[in-house]
Amino acid sequence: MGPDKSLLRTKEDNKVKRAPILLEMATGTLGTYSPSQSLERRHQQQKRTDFQEVDWARSDGRNFHQCRPAFLRTGAASSASGSAYAEFGSTKVIVSVFGPRESKKAMLYSDVGRLNCHVTYTTFSTPIRGQGFEHKEYSSMLHKALEGAIMLETFPKTTVDIFALVLESGGGDLPVIISCASLAIADAGIMMYDLVSAVSLSCFGKNMVIDPTSEEEACQDGSLMITYMPSRNEVTQFTLTGEWPTARINEAMELCLDACSKLADILRSCLKDNASELTA
Amino acid sequence: MVGLSAGERQFIYGGIAQDLRSDGRQRLQFRPISVQTGVIPQANGSARATMGATDVIASIKAELGKPAPLRPDKGKVSIFIDCSPTAAPVFEGRGGEELSAELSVGLQRCLLGGKSGAGAGIDLSSLIVVEGKVCWDLYIDGLVISSDGNLLDALAAAIKAALSNTGIPKVSVSVGASGEDQPEVDVSDEEFMQFDTSGVPVVVTLTKVGRHYIVDATLEEESQMSSAVSVSVNRHGRVCGLIKRGGTGLDPSVVLDMVSVAKHASETLIAVLDSEIASAEAIDDDDAI
Repeated sequence: MGPDKSLLRTKEDNKVKRAPILLEMATGTLGTYSPSQSLERRHQQQKRTDFQEVDWARSDGRNFHQCRPAFLRTGAASSASGSAYAEFGSTKVIVSVFGPRESKKAMLYSDVGRLNCHVTYTTFSTPIRGQGFEHKEYSSMLHKALEGAIMLETFPKTTVDIFALVLESGGGDLPVIISCASLAIADAGIMMYDLVSAVSLSCFGKNMVIDPTSEEEACQDGSLMITYMPSRNEVTQFTLTGEWPTARINEAMELCLDACSKLADILRSCLKDNASELTA
Repeated sequence: MVGLSAGERQFIYGGIAQDLRSDGRQRLQFRPISVQTGVIPQANGSARATMGATDVIASIKAELGKPAPLRPDKGKVSIFIDCSPTAAPVFEGRGGEELSAELSVGLQRCLLGGKSGAGAGIDLSSLIVVEGKVCWDLYIDGLVISSDGNLLDALAAAIKAALSNTGIPKVSVSVGASGEDQPEVDVSDEEFMQFDTSGVPVVVTLTKVGRHYIVDATLEEESQMSSAVSVSVNRHGRVCGLIKRGGTGLDPSVVLDMVSVAKHASETLIAVLDSEIASAEAIDDDDAI
């Protein structure tokens, strides 16, 4: 992977963006320095009108139906039973899986295993610092996406903890977390029916853009996310916001399912590489 | 938690397979819905909706606030759901938290549309008073009084009714304020403006039990579900949001089939709900006089 051209370009963009603020500060129109919200807003409005157009170039030079390059590695944290690191464009996520281990004493007896999911953001994951927080909604979405794929009955009375940490939020965070978590679970040797891969899609007017960046996500009209087990042809989780005619849902789903199958192949080959490295 | 014997389970499964459910309904038939509006005098708008033994209240409070810096031309709406321990002992203390959070997120997804505001049931730009300075913050609070399944649909119906019952006070802005200052506003307590609720979608939850799906599941039926898909559909038959519950995976073609069935079922629900809201409003108006 390595630093590619798109990364360099965003850095230059930042420079261009910052310049006018400094000017304003110098002339004294701006009392305190806040992270350029008005500027960001103007930028965003500009972007929105751009996105409504029929044809525009994505900031990282991708086609509308092209996903970001994925970089995946297992064994990111040594103390965990299984772990994985995923990098999709600028979104960077690390997931560790602990267990199965004994459930807490207070828990009632359960003949199927428990799944405990936590998603947290680091303080430096977003452009404005200090938004490091636990994401309850993502935690429950991660749980729902995975519970249908893991054979919970193989570890009764015990709990599997899944901790996801978003190092850098660059859009499509949840799908990256889910794909990375399923890789980490496989690395931990916990039995699953199939790997779960997840892909999201943004809709702008008539355009549909797969695997959106955070810039694109901020002004989307609608979004769709699918988590999918390709070998079993099963959708484990599916969310949709915004207004969608049915025909568009069909089209978007087909696009996402196709991308999910391809992503699952990448996940699988990553696991295979890892296994062959260990045996070699 | 619902404890069911093997026989009872068999009865539910068998009934659904034969299109005759335990309470005599067909698979795609709703329980009778009744709506009462204006039940909470303290709120700007409120409604109570009952579907069979499921009973929920939605209240809407409007407060003046400041628009978000990134969206200066839009007001804000937030939805909170509370599961009261009066509904079920498991909701006591922190027990209801998980369900409350799930319902709140689900309703936000189903009713508030995309990030840019497309497909939203509530037109956020109608909540603005002075652009970038003053807007209405709408707090939608739902309360589950008694739970017998299908909470999401009932809450969405109650919110829809409460919105049509909501009057937002007219606001006049004094011209004196200019530039950076926060403008002074005068809130009228006599004149109210009504919401346009024609765009507010209804939520239809299809619960999959065995190989069939049913609408408006009771608690007993919900305990037997493999998965459920909630679809919010507006008057124009467009899907405004969708969430899936339950762990079991679904075939993609089944998901699409469920969407089209939900769209079909929503037509009946919208018609019933509209007439219920209209008659509730009429009674409410009579009482006022």
